[in-house]
Amino acid sequence: MKDLEQENKELKEALEFKSDLISMTAHQLRTSMSATKWVLKMLLDGDLGPLTEEQKIFIKKTEDNNEKMITFVSEMIDINKEESREIRYTFGKYNLKELVCNTVGEFRGEAAKKNVSLKCHCEEFSRPVEVDREKIQTVIQGLVENAIKYNKEGGSVTLSSKEDGDFVIISVEDTGIGIAEKEKEKIFDKFFRTDSAKKHESIGSGLGLFVIQRIIERHNGEIWFDSKEGVGTTFNVKIPFNQ
Amino acid sequence: MSDKKQNILIVEDDTFLQGLMANKVNSNGFEITTASNGEEAMTALAKTKFDGILLDLMLPDISGFDILENLKSDGSKIPVIVFSNLSDDKDIKKAMSLGAKEYLIKSNFTLEELIEKLKKVI
Repeated sequence: MKDLEQENKELKEALEFKSDLISMTAHQLRTSMSATKWVLKMLLDGDLGPLTEEQKIFIKKTEDNNEKMITFVSEMIDINKEESREIRYTFGKYNLKELVCNTVGEFRGEAAKKNVSLKCHCEEFSRPVEVDREKIQTVIQGLVENAIKYNKEGGSVTLSSKEDGDFVIISVEDTGIGIAEKEKEKIFDKFFRTDSAKKHESIGSGLGLFVIQRIIERHNGEIWFDSKEGVGTTFNVKIPFNQ
Repeated sequence: MSDKKQNILIVEDDTFLQGLMANKVNSNGFEITTASNGEEAMTALAKTKFDGILLDLMLPDISGFDILENLKSDGSKIPVIVFSNLSDDKDIKKAMSLGAKEYLIKSNFTLEELIEKLKKVI
């Protein structure tokens, strides 16, 4: 019988192999998608000659799909890093209100494109919050992006934050497609996407909320949501002021 | 002011990507020299004084890191933009610590954005 030490060693080697394989595959996919991205852009810019309106529509759609796949591969890389614990968390004390509002600002264009109004009601916190700045940005970006992506035409996304003793709570509320009752317990599972999300957006990795939950756990916090199908969803993130 | 065009070395092993980059850089008024591996890059660097380098990291012989190391030990002041699809934090930190001016992930940038960055650093 193998001893525990030997089994651990083999398991570690298998994980390293898997991680290397994903990195290598992602690199190859990115190379191919970069070429596609650049050529499609040249076509759309007319660098390779004029296009008919119909050709432009088809190429634009292909470009959108390629961008989605690029995002998908980036998410795969993130999850791979997260799983192999390559990502080291660097905690610092930050003005969280500023961080939240600046991050939301990045999505104004995206929201306008989908005719979704984006509001930020964040209160000033009494003191700085200890977080990994980039990771918390990933959380806010992910939640706002989903809230816009899975919203309805003319809908809204509202960000709010408040203090709760030794914790801060950030909430992202949308008027989107919502989450069906039977799917609620799986929402943070790796690779899970709801049926309505799949209908709404054909491409997605189902990794976004999984990664977000992992980040919040590493901040000793928690994430939960309230949702009604067809009405909307509110995601709440609660993290301590100090780690 | 001199009319002499600035000379850019493009180090990229994927010939299709290299061709696309070369066309775009050239059409923006730069002279270009291309290298498909580390050896070609080192030979070009020994022969010509470049104004900027676009450098891939994964090359068939030596790595882009080796080229950066070599430039650093020679005290080179040529601005280098690393243009790679590797995105590990450790790769980015390593390239920057070896003197790269910018680290861009290919799939996240258009060639127009690459040109903007190039004009900024040289």
